[in-house]
Amino acid sequence: MNSLDPRVIRLPKTGEPGIIQPKVPLDQFGSFEVFVQPKEGKSFQHEGVVHSPNLELAYILAKETFTRRFTCVSLYVVETRNVFASPLTDGNNNVYDLIVDPPPSNKKEPYEIYHLPKRGKQHIHVGQVEAGSPEEAMSFARKKFNTKIIYNVWAVKSADIRFTSIEENDFWITLPEKHFRDAADYKGGDKLKLFLEKQK
Amino acid sequence: MYGGGNTFEDVKTDDVVLEDPNRLAVFEARIARGEKIEPADWMPELYRKQLIRMIEQHGHSEIIGALPEGTWITRAPGFKRKMALMAKVQDEVGHAQLLYSAAETLGKSREQMIDDLITGKSKYSNIFNYPTFTWADCCFISWLVDAGAIVNQLANAKGSYGPYCRALDRICAEESFHLKYGHHCVIYLAAGTAKQREMFQEALNRWWPPMMHFFGPSDKISTHTEVLMRWKVKMGTNDEMRNQFLDMYVSKIWELGFIIPDPKLKKNTETNTWEYTEPDWEEFKRVINGDGPCNKERLEVRRIAEERGRWVRKALASPKMAYVTPLA
Repeated sequence: MNSLDPRVIRLPKTGEPGIIQPKVPLDQFGSFEVFVQPKEGKSFQHEGVVHSPNLELAYILAKETFTRRFTCVSLYVVETRNVFASPLTDGNNNVYDLIVDPPPSNKKEPYEIYHLPKRGKQHIHVGQVEAGSPEEAMSFARKKFNTKIIYNVWAVKSADIRFTSIEENDFWITLPEKHFRDAADYKGGDKLKLFLEKQK
Repeated sequence: MYGGGNTFEDVKTDDVVLEDPNRLAVFEARIARGEKIEPADWMPELYRKQLIRMIEQHGHSEIIGALPEGTWITRAPGFKRKMALMAKVQDEVGHAQLLYSAAETLGKSREQMIDDLITGKSKYSNIFNYPTFTWADCCFISWLVDAGAIVNQLANAKGSYGPYCRALDRICAEESFHLKYGHHCVIYLAAGTAKQREMFQEALNRWWPPMMHFFGPSDKISTHTEVLMRWKVKMGTNDEMRNQFLDMYVSKIWELGFIIPDPKLKKNTETNTWEYTEPDWEEFKRVINGDGPCNKERLEVRRIAEERGRWVRKALASPKMAYVTPLA
């Protein structure tokens, strides 16, 4: 390949230009939902999605994709298929009015509950319930957290989540030191002023 | 960064006629109220198709756009510039991840998007088909191509599709560093030696025509664009975006004593719009269709990366994993 970039010239010849073996399903792995806690004392909120071959790597990729920049104190990930989502409502229709009580269950486990209080915004963690199924978790959440109109609810079994451990809490303490990633570190004003004065 | 502009082929608006009128009315009323559309909401097929195409192209532009800048990381002047450029390129690739995820919520898989990029079925911003000969070309991209991208992205962030808007909010926040960094680089070239000034002037001469192409050809207001504007998929005409860019940056380029290579460029104070030499749209079309200086190289680098990574992805694949369309 003719290129200005020596690294491109060094690339090994592989296959035929323009022809790619079509990707097989799962070539880009499974999908995981990422939740970030922006500040101590604030709730976790949904930030987005990563693709990963497993939960542990999803955690690392989420850290790189979503917490390189802004203040962040904690992060967790869960497989998308382990997020149980309610229907989506709008206007004055509270989604909790649509949630029915499932038959009671015996074995209870903790579930995390997330609310969408405003359409277009992110889902926010509101707390935990002990339930035997995601349906039951939603029904208990209705009793516990139903205070204003909510448009969508997610329930996630706590055991399915890859949380940040205590030892990992220091991941983000160096964030404020990375000035080279910060617009405020590129003040060209003085240099520009000096240059303009010299031009006069 | 993002190479905006509406350069895609037309979608038939007739399809809208076939949609369920009741659902369409609810959908349009929601957008008119200023509410966002979420993946679980009903939406017309044209809306879905157009958004997939737009967000996917935006994602591809981030990936391909990382190449002309990435090539300068090892040669950036000094440790600080290397650190900054590396962080910027990392951001761009991160933006592609966010955008691909947003497009996935509409039902197109990431595998399909990557295949379509490599076979040339999907497009990306045309401007990245030009080479970065010198460090000054790289500075032009960091400052002015990113500036153009921000004009587009800020407009699109006010669009109607929730996941795309949320991705753009994140992206715009990170782009502010790119813009400041790019301007900083150019100020240093401008205030530097005669050779440095000449380097940037030459880069400006090379990049101005593709920069004017960047926003796409004038789009006549057709039924098609009217529908997309009503649905807040398209937030302004290509000419409006180009004009806004010129409004914000021409004076900044002039301030540094550089000459923009267009003798006709001036602001018409009566119409409050910029006048300029009509860009060469034949060249634009030719380059979009594959005949630019770097089209082959860009896609070939991408293809080889995919091929070389295949065994890694295969080794990591687990039958226990499942792909589920992202939720939001």
